[in-house]
Amino acid sequence: MARRTIVPAFVLAVLMSGAQTTAAAASDPSGDGIRLELSPRICTLAIDDKQCETWVHARWRSPHEESLCLVIVDRPEVKRCWENYTEGTYNIELVFTEDVIFQLKDLDLRRVLASEALRVIKAAIHYRHKRRQPWNLFD
Amino acid sequence: MYAKSFKWLLAILAGLAQAQAASTDDDCKGTSSECVAVGKWNFSVALGAGLRSNPLVTGKNIPLVVIPQFSYYGNRFFINDLDLGFTLVENTTNTFSLVGSPGYDRVFFYRSDLQNIFIGLPGLGTYVAQRVPASTPNAVQFPARARRITYLAGPEWTFKLSGISGQLDALHDITNQNNGTEMRAALGIPLVESKGSLTANVGVTWKSAAIVNYYYGSPGIYEAGSALNPFFKLGYTLPLAGKWRFSAFAEYERLGNAIANSPIVEERFVATAFVGAIYTF
Repeated sequence: MARRTIVPAFVLAVLMSGAQTTAAAASDPSGDGIRLELSPRICTLAIDDKQCETWVHARWRSPHEESLCLVIVDRPEVKRCWENYTEGTYNIELVFTEDVIFQLKDLDLRRVLASEALRVIKAAIHYRHKRRQPWNLFD
Repeated sequence: MYAKSFKWLLAILAGLAQAQAASTDDDCKGTSSECVAVGKWNFSVALGAGLRSNPLVTGKNIPLVVIPQFSYYGNRFFINDLDLGFTLVENTTNTFSLVGSPGYDRVFFYRSDLQNIFIGLPGLGTYVAQRVPASTPNAVQFPARARRITYLAGPEWTFKLSGISGQLDALHDITNQNNGTEMRAALGIPLVESKGSLTANVGVTWKSAAIVNYYYGSPGIYEAGSALNPFFKLGYTLPLAGKWRFSAFAEYERLGNAIANSPIVEERFVATAFVGAIYTF
């Protein structure tokens, strides 16, 4: 199983302070006050890691009662809906190699009410020549 | 004299390093047979059947059954099984490094030598070479003495040109056991490269008299000069399913006269053969 490092939200806040604004805005595109939060929000892949494997906790809140569904882009099998709620939570175990986009949509799944990304950061891998050693037994 | 020459060599290499510091490796974009990820440990194990002959009188052959291998490459520092190195200058064709490597000949005297663990089945400290029975005709008994672990260090130049790889090491004992010098030179020549690859390796190892006498001599009984050991190896590898690959090789090393004429040596060659599979973790 690949190892991965999940960066806590407060570390993310420091590391991704530039992206934070965008993420917050994206979580409330309609201006209805619906907020979507993910935990964790970032997964860093070390040099030996092939993929992220983690439980993700999604939570939404709204100042008004809403009827909506939580979906994940490009994962049609994931769908959790609420009718006339002001908040909701959803936990799911995910295996992923690229960013995962969570969206809150209306019940018709047409309008995006809020969006948040679980981002993957891959460690920069550098390569160099192996030692050439024809003198050695196994080379 | 050797120590002085080594200082000069080191000074030249240090100058080269200054002139071409942090030379980049633009042709390495991913893991391949030529390139390796920086900062990652690499482990593999060869499983199979093989043997390395022991040229010593009553010396026992060394089995090749389980052969672990590991390596680590930093930006400049590297570990390659029991070899350590620091790369001074590197480009697509040439690499100049300072390396350290264990003295090789001890493998014939001690099964427990670390190099035997990385070559074959480790024993329990047993002595590979047994004393000659007193009844043996013309037997010459050396006073019993230990051959301690030695570590050699010095500059290394490796290159790759038209598919042929080369290696030249000038190593000196840094463990103060024999203060000898060893030169290792070899070429790796690809013969067939399709699904599998067949490679021929040819080379020589030159050992100074100090090293030859440390292992194969005895004061007043046998004192020899330097020795030049040429070798030839044929190796074949074929990728198998997953992380397995088939590996087979045969090597013949002819011992120089100074070693072969020692009373404790009865064969003037070392033959090694192995057939098995390598799993890369």
